[in-house]
Amino acid sequence: MTHSVVGKSVTRLDALAKVTGQAKYCTDIKLPGMLHAKVLRSPYAHARILSIDTSKAEKLQGVRVVITGEDVPPKRFGASVFDQHVLARSVVRYVGDPVAAVAADTIEIAERALELIHVEYEGMPAVFDVEEAWQTSPAAVVHPDLPEYQLAKFPSLQLVPERPNVCNYRTVRCGDVEKGFQEADLIIENRFTTPRIQHCPFEPHVCIAQLEADGSLTIYAGRQSIFLAKQYLCSLFELPPSKIRVIASYYIGGGFGSKVTLYTEPIAVVLAIKTQRPVRLAYTREEMFASGGTRVPFVIHIKDGVKRNGSIIARKMMMLLDMGAYAGSGPFITRNSIYGIVAGYRLPNLKVDAYAVYTNQPIVASFRGFGTTQVVWAIESQMDIIAEKLKMDAVELRRKNLLKEGDMNATGEIVHSIGLRECLDKVADLIEWDKNTKQEKGSWKRGKGLALGNKYSMAPTAAVGVVKVLEDGTIEVRESADEMGQGCITVLAQIAAEEFGVSMDRVKVVWGDTNFTPYFSRGSTSQRSTFNLGNAVRLACQDAKRQLCEIATQKLQAPPEDMDIKDGKIYVRSERSKAIDIKELFTAERELLPGEFGNYVEKKGEVVGKAVSVTPAAPSDPLTAQIPSDIARQGGRLTAFYGYAAQAVEVLVNTETGEIKVERIAAATDVGYPLNPKMCEQQIEGGVSMGLSSALWEEVVLDRGKVLNPNFRDYKVASASNMPKIDNVKVSIVIAPHKDGPYGAKGTGETQMTPTAPAIANAVYNAVGVRIRDLPMTREKIIVGKRHKNEGQQKKQAR
Amino acid sequence: MKQALELKVNGQLYEVFVEPWQSLAEVLREELGFTGVRVSCNTGDCGSCTVIVDGKAVKSCLMLAPQAKGKEIITIEGLAQDGKLHPLQEAFIDHFAVQCGYCTSGMILMAKTLLDESPDATEEEIRAGLSGNFCRCTGYVKIVEAIMAAKEKMNFAR
Repeated sequence: MTHSVVGKSVTRLDALAKVTGQAKYCTDIKLPGMLHAKVLRSPYAHARILSIDTSKAEKLQGVRVVITGEDVPPKRFGASVFDQHVLARSVVRYVGDPVAAVAADTIEIAERALELIHVEYEGMPAVFDVEEAWQTSPAAVVHPDLPEYQLAKFPSLQLVPERPNVCNYRTVRCGDVEKGFQEADLIIENRFTTPRIQHCPFEPHVCIAQLEADGSLTIYAGRQSIFLAKQYLCSLFELPPSKIRVIASYYIGGGFGSKVTLYTEPIAVVLAIKTQRPVRLAYTREEMFASGGTRVPFVIHIKDGVKRNGSIIARKMMMLLDMGAYAGSGPFITRNSIYGIVAGYRLPNLKVDAYAVYTNQPIVASFRGFGTTQVVWAIESQMDIIAEKLKMDAVELRRKNLLKEGDMNATGEIVHSIGLRECLDKVADLIEWDKNTKQEKGSWKRGKGLALGNKYSMAPTAAVGVVKVLEDGTIEVRESADEMGQGCITVLAQIAAEEFGVSMDRVKVVWGDTNFTPYFSRGSTSQRSTFNLGNAVRLACQDAKRQLCEIATQKLQAPPEDMDIKDGKIYVRSERSKAIDIKELFTAERELLPGEFGNYVEKKGEVVGKAVSVTPAAPSDPLTAQIPSDIARQGGRLTAFYGYAAQAVEVLVNTETGEIKVERIAAATDVGYPLNPKMCEQQIEGGVSMGLSSALWEEVVLDRGKVLNPNFRDYKVASASNMPKIDNVKVSIVIAPHKDGPYGAKGTGETQMTPTAPAIANAVYNAVGVRIRDLPMTREKIIVGKRHKNEGQQKKQAR
Repeated sequence: MKQALELKVNGQLYEVFVEPWQSLAEVLREELGFTGVRVSCNTGDCGSCTVIVDGKAVKSCLMLAPQAKGKEIITIEGLAQDGKLHPLQEAFIDHFAVQCGYCTSGMILMAKTLLDESPDATEEEIRAGLSGNFCRCTGYVKIVEAIMAAKEKMNFAR
């Protein structure tokens, strides 16, 4: 099928506003009478609050209100476990836990007021290590009242009474893993870890809360998922949906998952209610690192049973996920990380045990990959270890175990739209896998490595699309995906342009206001906007076209089934000369000047197409995570779709300094069908660079729960000079159309970050023989690894 | 104590009353409404607040507003001339060098000073020159491509 607008790299709708500086973000908004808020945070990882004295702060000129735990709702909030008060009420659980907040005329006054608040604490034992916290008798229980807490209905959570810090336990049981190990020729067991990293969106968390005269709340937020925020806030403040309006009808300065749950909003709301004034709360970069949410650190034990021919016949994984002090999306990540395990390879026998564990560390958040990046780190490092033991080529081993179209994966889903083999072949070709690496003289050693990756999109979800036909024939798309740089407004406009047969300048997009734009459950998360909302917008266009044709029946003297719409005209298919302009359907009430546009449509008022696209999830067994095979055979799925990727890199490693330079990258991603190829490339290149940065440098370093590097000097993110030459970054888009995606498209925001770190680790091993199991791959780890390897060799020789 | 200060921004004079400790970034954004000056770290590490002061790229969160007195300040809002985009702005659009857009102002102004100072900068020099301007979305490939393309265009026009 050929398309005229989708599939083309049309210019981004937001590009002009962004290169001229005209683009507006939440942080740019000022409201009349607006106050500025600051938050006093706990300096201790675990302590009881004995007393708080705010009297001095309240007396400071320009301070309008000071609030503490006594002023916030007694109800707790959360994304899965309702474990968090807006401000700590008696106990603080991490360094950075909000204890008090101030609203003042200026930020400086608010900051000074914080210094005048006196809090008396009594220290409590704290637990920082996830493996320690997981024990049956841990050094500290972070939430002793956990059994009494409210738990979200979805995802359903499972507590483990004998392990008091565990807030979710998820399992997969497929086949008989012990029997598989008995039949294996080789057993390989390893432990891998991923660190706490921060998303570093360039616009830090920010919101403005305003109390309206009727008692309703308006919240301007720089966030993802306006409807999720509305749902959370309705529940926390016990308000009906009509009383809360969340707005993000401007641009968001990056998200990467960090802006999905609540951070600034609840505190700003309490301050706005107290002062009856708009209150703005903006996080500093330092607060982003300490309290803005981080990626969930994983400890992963992986044990594989492999046949001599390379087939993996059994895999067992035990994973501990560090939730920090409040779980946020963490228990959800625990559940969904299993989808990353079952995605790529045939696993006849699989056993997974995953625990979400509280510690007194900083809070976690969803993060591009949502658990898949962490499990792929372990699996793809392990695959290379297996290949070496079997003396098998790493590409060959992967090819041998790949799932293919129509296979059943280890959760019972039937595999559909899998371009993984093509991705693998493509990167192997681009990196010249079969050519030997030319070794340099001196301390720089060269090596190649590759890895596969994947990312599902979650189900169940619902997306509503609305399109309004304007009086000049322009198509207005109304939607509630968040434009945080991924380009959703451009893609949705392309879909509307395609459906109406018009050019891009005949389409306009309005977005981001729960009062006016339609429901989009979890917003732009789980790389779902193109797939879910794309479908909804496409169907809404078809609905609007159907209505237009019906209205045109009288004027065209033809049945609507015989009509179609293109270039702003409704025409009769069997007699193309019979056509009218969409404009002609609009009646002008009072023309100011002759020939002006009409104002309304007779009888209907306006033409608004609407549609909902629901992606259901099949029921699965809570213990085995399997869907019943009859449901699977009928197309039942646990996920909406899977995106797949492969990456291959060539690195230089300095054996003296431990420095790693990534010289070449080949990245292939299966996007289903690229609706805008250049924007797919943007996502791939961006994912690779974030993957590279997280592989080599990124880690929020903690000392007894306190962040030691909360700034871009001490927390390094990749810069242009760290990336390979532009000609050495080869990006390839693989097409594997999905039957349920709009024009075959899947989403592709997250997939490409998953294989980067293991591809680099495998290349480093190839270069210097050092196997890194704990990210990031710092220079120290390379040097220490090299030393151990040398000592090992010397011992062998001595024997 | 707030003091009167005259600032010349994008060719126009403005009188503002500022505290002596207020940063140029804050005054440009909050007092004068040049919100194209993006503040991301406020510690001079990320480069998103880059503006041009007397021809040099400056991280405006690190310069006090009074230090810019009598100097020519250019923000992203002042880059297009007579309604025509600067070649760098055009190239950033055409080469898909923009995603969330938060680093874009600083990135373009940094690139402009780089190319003004060395019109024949190599890819290596451009990447090194941008090493104080972070971008979390793009992976820099399309940014560097855009700057290289703008360079050709600017040199051709010279």
